[in-house]
Amino acid sequence: MLAYTLRRIAQLIPVLLVLSVAVFSFVEALPGSIVDTLVGTEGGDIEEARAILTKEYGLDRPVHERYVLWLGRALQFDFGKSLVTRRPISTELLSRIPATVYLAAVGIVISLLIAVPLGTFAAVRRNSAVDYTAQVTSLAGISIPEFWFAILCVLLFSLYLGWLPSSGYVSPFEDFWGSLQFLILPAAAIGFRQAAFTTRLTRSSMLDELSKEYVDTARALGHSERKVIFKYTLRNAMIPTITISGLQLANLLGGTVVLESIFAWPGIGRAIFEAILQRDYPLIQAGVLVLGCIVVVMNLLVDLTYRLLNPRVTFA
Amino acid sequence: MSELKADKLVDGTLAWRAPPPPLVRRIATTISNVWYELRKSRTASIGAVMLVLLFGACIGTPWLATHDPIKQNYRERLQPPSEKHLLGTDRMGRDIYSRLLYGGRRLVTIAVVAVTLSLVVGVPFGVLTGYFGGLADTIGMRIVDGLLAFPGLLLYLLFVTVAQAWKFEGVMLDVVLVGALALAGMPEKARLARGSVLAEKQKEYVEASRAVGDSPARIALSQILPNILSPLIVTATVRLGFVILIVAALSFLGLGTPPPTPDWGSDLSAARDYMETHPLIAAFPGLAICYTVLAFNLFGDGLRDILDPRLAER
Repeated sequence: MLAYTLRRIAQLIPVLLVLSVAVFSFVEALPGSIVDTLVGTEGGDIEEARAILTKEYGLDRPVHERYVLWLGRALQFDFGKSLVTRRPISTELLSRIPATVYLAAVGIVISLLIAVPLGTFAAVRRNSAVDYTAQVTSLAGISIPEFWFAILCVLLFSLYLGWLPSSGYVSPFEDFWGSLQFLILPAAAIGFRQAAFTTRLTRSSMLDELSKEYVDTARALGHSERKVIFKYTLRNAMIPTITISGLQLANLLGGTVVLESIFAWPGIGRAIFEAILQRDYPLIQAGVLVLGCIVVVMNLLVDLTYRLLNPRVTFA
Repeated sequence: MSELKADKLVDGTLAWRAPPPPLVRRIATTISNVWYELRKSRTASIGAVMLVLLFGACIGTPWLATHDPIKQNYRERLQPPSEKHLLGTDRMGRDIYSRLLYGGRRLVTIAVVAVTLSLVVGVPFGVLTGYFGGLADTIGMRIVDGLLAFPGLLLYLLFVTVAQAWKFEGVMLDVVLVGALALAGMPEKARLARGSVLAEKQKEYVEASRAVGDSPARIALSQILPNILSPLIVTATVRLGFVILIVAALSFLGLGTPPPTPDWGSDLSAARDYMETHPLIAAFPGLAICYTVLAFNLFGDGLRDILDPRLAER
């Protein structure tokens, strides 16, 4: 396990390098020089400012040197300053991460709360009304765009019924119950969509487990059906579900851009989206790099957990 | 019998062989064969019918549309569905039905081109790296992993930002979008193809063609590739639905083609301002997206059951 873990960590390095090169070349691919954008905002002696900025950003050096310089700073979490707010980008991003993690984590919990009982029940009562409902619901969940679902939720719960606010955010650390009000709609929109995938997965892995011999043995030994299902089968069937949920969580950290902008949720996805509208390129660059790294690391953790939970998988 | 022989003597051909069926009949036979296969899975046949309707609407758009999708008519704004405007009009008095048709045509075209392109790039990439292994495989797979590290919409956001900064418009913007979608879809196909190749490589027919002296590239691309196509086709079908969701999400965010081009995502986003008073305007583009994605998903799911009967049991 240790050797495998170390090897996997070593494999991360080239992936992160590819990611960083891609993100770096993004800014390189922009027309004009970043200095032009900056000079416009500073005012004063243009030629002198230009010379100073060119030196500061190392633009008088060749591309590969600039990449190394940029990467070196990025490794120390120094991404420079935002072009719009003039605050350090690292602070901007760090202040946005909690909101995204909060939304994504609750969304995944909701999806598991829907998917596990529904998928299990659908598998146990195969071809029953519940099974068909589960299958139809999960197909619908996969096919309905989440932004449309979110809009419909806002229409129903905020505009017609007036139960919940249509958008906004309160930190859970300041006012936990107040923050839940704002959280319910976006988290439910995430949960419903992610549950669509996990319900199917739970159902099919549950069916897989139920057809195995140990289930027959357990039944032959006279265990109650409830015990067979909840104590033995479900535990094994949960392994793929948990794994996929972990991957979903990793992806959600960067994938909630649309929902965050619908619900005015001050997460990192919305920060990147706003940066795009304001052409704050260094912030976009840093945000994508940070999210990419989070995803890569999360994927590794999920993989390692999977192997811990499921020792039968060979460490090839 | 004697008559048949005589025929053979007259024009020197095998007269007793039935003449080839006319083209129409042959096409009809093919369709009925395909339909026979599809009937094995109910989801596949429902999906197929939905897709035929969808593609029919996309091809027939110029004839089906009743109005110019861009022409504004402020005297008839925000109207409910009527005989003149089948699905009503939007905030600028444009006919929603016609806008849906033209928007769908564009969206489906982008998705089909993007997914085809990702197959064309990703599959040979995966087949070759998988077949040759070694350093090529290691480097190739690290590139693929690097691309997969972009969560959600971020890769597209980067591309769209660059395109906007260069002030790309119209077709160029679509080209960039298609390129980004193809690039993001490529890793999935490459990985799948590579995995199948690794399994297939051990089989006897590969050894046989190696013994005959076929070149490695030929073995990989013309012997192995046809044998691993079915999972790829299924993935590509499901991916089409996914790509449509992504494109719609991007234009919903205002990062797609700028108005007044008809577009389900941006129309939906614009309809939000009138949602309280005119919820139907927001309903139609959303339903259109659902229908399209559902069609591809149903068809893909059913296809998987047909092509891989082991999974159909579940």
